[in-house]
Amino acid sequence: MAIPQRKTDIGPPKYDQFLPPAIKKNYGKWKYHEVITPGTMVHVGESGDKLWTVRVASPRLLSTATIREHCDIAEKFCDGFFRYTTRNNVEFMVADESKLEPLKKELTDRGFKMGGIGNAISNVVHTQGWVHCHSACTDASGLVKAMMDELMPYFESKPLPNKVRLAVACCVNMCGAVHCSDIAVVAVHTKVPEIKHELFKNMCELPTVIGSCPTRAISPDPANKSVKINAEKCMYCGNCFTVCPPISIKDADRDGVAILVGGKVNSLRSNPKFSKLVIPYISNEPPRWPKAVAAIKHIVDVYAANARKHERVGEWIDRIGWERFFSLTGIDFTFQSIDDFTFMRDTMRTASTFKW
Amino acid sequence: MKKYSTPLIDELEKGPWPSFVTEMKKAAKTNEMSNDAVGHLEKCYATKVGYWKHGGIVGVLGYGGGVIGRYSELGDEFPGVAHFHTVRINQPSGFYYTSAAMKEICDIWDKYGSGLTNVHGSTGDLVLLGTKTDALENIFAEYSSRGWDLGGSGSALRTPSCCLGPSRCEWSNYDTLDLCYALTQEFQDEIHRPMFSYKFKIKMSGCACDCVASIARADMSIIGTWKGDIRIDQAEVANYAKKGMDINAEIIGMCPTQCMSYDGKEIKINNAECNRCMHCITKMTKALRPGTERGATICIGSKAPIVVGSLLSWVIVPFIKVEEPYTEVKDLIRKIWEWWDDNAKPRERIGEVIEMKGMRSFLEGIGQEPIPQQIKEPRKDPFMFYTEEDMVGFKAKEAEEKKTGKYKF
Amino acid sequence: METAELQDKIFAFCEAAKGKKKLKEKDIIKGVSAELSLEADVVKKAMRGMIDVGRLMYSYGGGASSVEIPSEEYLREKGMIP
Ligand code: HEM
Ligand code: HEM
Ligand code: HEM
Ligand code: HEM
Ligand code: HEM
Ligand code: SF4
Ligand code: SF4
Ligand code: SF4
Ligand code: SF4
Repeated sequence: MAIPQRKTDIGPPKYDQFLPPAIKKNYGKWKYHEVITPGTMVHVGESGDKLWTVRVASPRLLSTATIREHCDIAEKFCDGFFRYTTRNNVEFMVADESKLEPLKKELTDRGFKMGGIGNAISNVVHTQGWVHCHSACTDASGLVKAMMDELMPYFESKPLPNKVRLAVACCVNMCGAVHCSDIAVVAVHTKVPEIKHELFKNMCELPTVIGSCPTRAISPDPANKSVKINAEKCMYCGNCFTVCPPISIKDADRDGVAILVGGKVNSLRSNPKFSKLVIPYISNEPPRWPKAVAAIKHIVDVYAANARKHERVGEWIDRIGWERFFSLTGIDFTFQSIDDFTFMRDTMRTASTFKW
Repeated sequence: MKKYSTPLIDELEKGPWPSFVTEMKKAAKTNEMSNDAVGHLEKCYATKVGYWKHGGIVGVLGYGGGVIGRYSELGDEFPGVAHFHTVRINQPSGFYYTSAAMKEICDIWDKYGSGLTNVHGSTGDLVLLGTKTDALENIFAEYSSRGWDLGGSGSALRTPSCCLGPSRCEWSNYDTLDLCYALTQEFQDEIHRPMFSYKFKIKMSGCACDCVASIARADMSIIGTWKGDIRIDQAEVANYAKKGMDINAEIIGMCPTQCMSYDGKEIKINNAECNRCMHCITKMTKALRPGTERGATICIGSKAPIVVGSLLSWVIVPFIKVEEPYTEVKDLIRKIWEWWDDNAKPRERIGEVIEMKGMRSFLEGIGQEPIPQQIKEPRKDPFMFYTEEDMVGFKAKEAEEKKTGKYKF
Repeated sequence: METAELQDKIFAFCEAAKGKKKLKEKDIIKGVSAELSLEADVVKKAMRGMIDVGRLMYSYGGGASSVEIPSEEYLREKGMIP
């Protein structure tokens, strides 16, 4: 078949052609919504129209076969309309209540999981990992799968004081939006890169390599016609490896993950917060990362047992204090949790009013 | 097709959460590239390291982004992933699709690529994972002739994205979907032909819930807000109380500005003191609704921690009307880019440039007055600059006071 | 100035920087328009014309983009040379 003539600068198709009729009619005129179950909510328009939404889990990494299955379900129940969420779930919407239960039954029969709405754990924002990135210290998709298998009750049915947003980044570049999450996992290298000096000359551009280092740890090594790395400055970001393959940073034994907690992006009650480091290192344990998963489950459980209604993880900790967070969770406090980078002056305590 | 033994990643087919390994295997049934991707991943799991190389320069003619080069170090062992490039397709606002459109996307991808996708990538694009260099021009022709364009990458405007806003959310303070579409169309050149010092991201949320996390991951965060009174339906307030909500504990007591009261019958709000945090509105969806004079707050500068620490966006314009044809927003964006362009060194995000050059330089550059809504607190030190004009201004004010006999601080 | 002549000047400008400095679009537009006392827009249009036909190309490294003279490999891949 002939290849059609390309067009440029057309941008995406206009969104309105993909909006279901009930949405077009009530666009901008919704009155309120109610969460019926963690998998279903209903929006009610000023017109009195109702629109039921069913949210379905997705691994984000989808085969076209599964996307076609989404299409088939949309055709059968939703006149072909459907959408994805910012956390990569799938949503099917029906304006006719009589279609709701058949839709849910079909989803159940096909093995889809519904949930994530309201005070629940929704899908985990994450990055590419070993599936598709050169920089990865771990596999994001695998970690997410192992975590969510364990946290499934909080997705499907078990209520929490508030939403708990989870995220995984597979290296400190953090391509996936996790720094402001209730619980974030970030994978880390822990070792200064090694340089194969004999290969450097042919494969790397000296100025590029020096320029690649965000902490200016790299300087020329004329004797070797290569570069050297100042171990005191290097924080293992891997950028130098990115531009120069003979510099290697991956280390199967030492690469691992760190856990940060207490971030949020909304402004409800308190301002947006960054996540803060509480567990500096857990070994990389594919295929199911048992210790990292247990740590996350433990933090969620302690939060669920102790937080007040509507408190996010970070708000709960702000109320009880970080010293109490560490004592309640039993997490060992380490030097890594003390900021020795840009934020030390803002993060040390400057009063004698702490708890024992 | 080669059959790989995959005992490690098979473990990730167990358990209730949908499995990405199952997805990869589904695609692998009919696709050589995906099949090798499965074997390649098992190898990563076995050795606990990755084998992808950082990309080469790949793309489509005339564009400077939208395709991300990806090659494997193990191309001989797994030829299907020797090239495994990513194609970013610009998503429609709000991630709505019809099955017909989506099936067409799948058909083209099955023909030229691995059949694997991310729906969606963190930038918002529909991400097609894994194709070969020689397929790129055909892929672009097939998609663009059917109305789909590539997204941004490199030192460009990245694909703008938004929350679903007015399409299905009662709290949206402006039309996020339409603004997202309008800006994407307006700035096509800036998306496809990298002309900036570094990347620039615009994300749009309709209210302070910020469902696209714009405050944390966009150089420009456009967050909906309102002026005027929260609308109260007292009958519904009574219903919440009847259904057992402890309104004093859950709503009044958690209001950060303590501007609400409840006498057992009605909620009263001192709207002048409300900071529009959305807490009460999100907890009493039927009883409380945002005010009706709607617009957005514009914040600038967030970025990830590489390397001197991450930033959250700073409030620059506390309130702006967001109405078609969005001239005010577009003009502001152009002014921001102009200042950034004039002041940035290579690879400096706008937040970093503002830190280097000072907020004053930025605000003056884009023509914004200083106002207290921009800050959390004033500076703590006395090490500040006085320009000649500042002094002339202070002196003129005092001269005026002498005339009127009234101090104006 | 004829577009073709201007484009040769732009090409020469890029060639001079090759291996020394990664040029952004703006560097070329500013540099060439100053050198020849031309409107920035004229230079931009001429440069874009070259990119559209593969005489120049967008490149990428360090997370930032630049404009370069294409390699033979790139031209072959785009069917510009056999
Ligand atoms: C009670 C307050 C909230 C309400 C009523 C609410 C409402 C919504 C709605 C209607 C959506 C669908 C929008 C879309 O997919 O584009 C959504 C999605 C989302 N919201 Fe919110 N939101 C609330 C609070 C928050 C908070 C506090 C956060 C984060 C800290 C947040 C983060 C998100 C994210 C990441 C999504 C994608 C959803 C998913 O796939 O599960 N939202 N929210
Ligand atoms: C030196 C630093 C970085 C490097 C080398 C890097 C590299 C990469 C690579 C190679 C990808 C493509 C992965 C793939 O699909 O194959 C990627 C994706 C991405 N990067 Fe980064 N990145 C860096 C920093 C950042 C930062 C600081 C941000 C934003 C704060 C960011 C945001 C993203 C996003 C949003 C994606 C799409 C990811 C997805 O959808 O999974 N990156 N990055
Ligand atoms: C566990 C640690 C963290 C992870 C995994 C993480 C991950 C990420 C990712 C993946 C993004 C890019 C999102 C996107 O553009 O789609 C991002 C952006 C960002 N992160 Fe984080 N982050 C972490 C910690 C932090 C911390 C501690 C801060 C601040 C103190 C921070 C501040 C930011 C900011 C301001 C952005 C803006 C994104 C941009 O450049 O576009 N993050 N983060
Ligand atoms: C340019 C900046 C500053 C100057 C010139 C300055 C000067 C002084 C002087 C002259 C004294 C009196 C010393 C004495 O009684 O022998 C003093 C006391 C003090 N200053 Fe500062 N100071 C500055 C900034 C600060 C800052 C930023 C802080 C704290 C954040 C601070 C905290 C104090 C304290 C706690 C005292 C002792 C007060 C007391 O005994 O009542 N100073 N400073
Ligand atoms: C100085 C060295 C480098 C640094 C600091 C660096 C940094 C980054 C950063 C920050 C990103 C994420 C930003 C983005 O999304 O564009 C990124 C992505 C990426 N980089 Fe690099 N990079 C470097 C060199 C290279 C080189 C030499 C190549 C290829 C030859 C390359 C290929 C890529 C690719 C393919 C991505 C994903 C592209 C994308 O997100 O659009 N990088 N890099
Ligand atoms: S976080 Fe790191 S490893 Fe993961 S996709 Fe981004 S650059 Fe790659
Ligand atoms: S790993 Fe990062 S910090 Fe360390 S030398 Fe390389 S570029 Fe610099
Ligand atoms: S950001 Fe606000 S307006 Fe947009 S979907 Fe979320 S709650 Fe609704
Ligand atoms: S929006 Fe927030 S500040 Fe305003 S009344 Fe409600 S809870 Fe209080």
